[in-house]
Amino acid sequence: MNYILHLLIMIGIYLILGYGLNLVVGFGGLLSLCHAVFYGIGAYATTMLMMKAGWTFLPAVGGAVIITAFFAFLVGFPALKFRGDSFVLVTLGFQMIVFTVLYNWVEMTRGPYGIPGIPRPSVAGYEISSLPAYLLLVAVMLGISVLVLFTLYRSPFGLALKALRDNEMAAEGLGKSPVHLFLFAFVIAGMIASVAGSLYATYVTYIDPTSFTLDESIFLLVILLVGGSGNRLGPLLGTVFMILLPEALRFLGLPDTVAPNVRQVIYGLVLILFMFLRPQGIAGKYSPR
Amino acid sequence: MTLLLQLLVNGIVTASLYSLLAVGFGLVYRSMRFFHIAFGAVYILASYAVILMRDTFGFPLSVSIIIGLTIGVVGGVLMDRLVYLPLEKRSAGSGVLLVASLGIYILFVNLIALIFGNEVKILSAGIAPSYTFGPLIISRMQTVQCLMGWLLVTVFWFIIRRNTFMKGVWAMGEKQRLVRVLGLPYEFMRVVVFALSSLFAGAASLLVALDVGIDPHVGMQALLTGAVAVIVGGVDLFWGWIAGAFLLAVLQSLAVWQFSARWNDLVTFGILIITLLFRPQGLFAPIRRREE
Repeated sequence: MNYILHLLIMIGIYLILGYGLNLVVGFGGLLSLCHAVFYGIGAYATTMLMMKAGWTFLPAVGGAVIITAFFAFLVGFPALKFRGDSFVLVTLGFQMIVFTVLYNWVEMTRGPYGIPGIPRPSVAGYEISSLPAYLLLVAVMLGISVLVLFTLYRSPFGLALKALRDNEMAAEGLGKSPVHLFLFAFVIAGMIASVAGSLYATYVTYIDPTSFTLDESIFLLVILLVGGSGNRLGPLLGTVFMILLPEALRFLGLPDTVAPNVRQVIYGLVLILFMFLRPQGIAGKYSPR
Repeated sequence: MTLLLQLLVNGIVTASLYSLLAVGFGLVYRSMRFFHIAFGAVYILASYAVILMRDTFGFPLSVSIIIGLTIGVVGGVLMDRLVYLPLEKRSAGSGVLLVASLGIYILFVNLIALIFGNEVKILSAGIAPSYTFGPLIISRMQTVQCLMGWLLVTVFWFIIRRNTFMKGVWAMGEKQRLVRVLGLPYEFMRVVVFALSSLFAGAASLLVALDVGIDPHVGMQALLTGAVAVIVGGVDLFWGWIAGAFLLAVLQSLAVWQFSARWNDLVTFGILIITLLFRPQGLFAPIRRREE
């Protein structure tokens, strides 16, 4: 039972990440490889605010969101001057830079040693430590994020993003500024990822930089490429598939030493096959060009 | 002063390896105009093929190296024939090719990790002897790396300048459609490009693996080093790639001197982002008007 609750919590956290990234990848049509950066900054900022500044959980989440928004702006402003391969490369560069800083700035982040003993969140005087309570917290956070995002998806802003994705020059001709709209989408996606980071840090109560590597960014992108993006169903299917696949492999009786590699082999194969058969993913509206 | 000189020597040695990577990556990126992430897979494939040949089948090292390089080349060409070319025939854009390439990379790395394990494999045992020139120390393997690397790159530089076929390959990057119109063998040219690119990847990988060993996850680093060198130097200039590789190597060894090796990635990608922002055509490329 606890195992299922744990899986549901992880699915919840990744749904927040997936739906956030969906705004950039699915609606904006920009393959970003630095989403784990904002996930990580959110996790670290929450941890710092709670452990060093002594804030409680909810203000810390809010503070982390604002800090991450600032960083997302710093990354997005230069990165969004580019499209296509160059955008992928620049975001990848930022991913590597932020990881290097998190890993090596030992005085601030404790680097490879990680930060253990992150306090459990307490909301309105009630400490959330049991799994069902935590699932409820994740569900509430997911609900709020999804509410914001779904509204954005359907808003004129979301439609303008789609227009820019499909034909940037034409959309620009209609007065939709790619500079403003893409940057806004990028910052929102970063803020949402920060919430997921807060949840992850307080759930696992231990963070180190290796949770926020390039591989994690690739994993998040693969969620959208497999499940599909640019709509509401795609990220859901992608997240469920990508989180449950390793568990399914575990039930097949694969030993733990080879399981991660087998899983990755399947991801690789799925990516290649999908590019041939269904570039838009299982249920997506956007296919990479 | 001695330290600085030693770092410069190390920089030149590293630059020879980086130039191999830059030439390997740049060949595909320049002539096909898409991001060949699976270059990193070819990189580890060649070295692991050598390990397989030597340890499992018991060939001597020299024969294993030849077979290993061949396997790398065949692997690289097959990636093109089985994935990139069919995708391109469906008129897929560079985004699709990039994702497919990422898929190939993930597939190969983890297949190799499944077979050989995730840990570092050593190719040559023992500590290599080193030579001393006054205050400077250079190991034998470093000498081999430096000589082989610069030899391959220089020879190839002449070929790409003098050989008509390679001039055609170079021109393919300008107008890909025109290649068929001019009656040049487009698919054969692709095979040559991927074979040469894989050969450079294999050579670089072996020169490193013989020195410090190899693990399945170093391919990404190799790919990114090559890619950054090409883009920083300027995609349209062959000597720019080499200059980019040199710049990267020297700056990294300076960073090792001033801070520590852990900050190398910061240097690499810092240069990349600054270059792309302020001189997207590359540091050494002449500024051209847009309509040219």
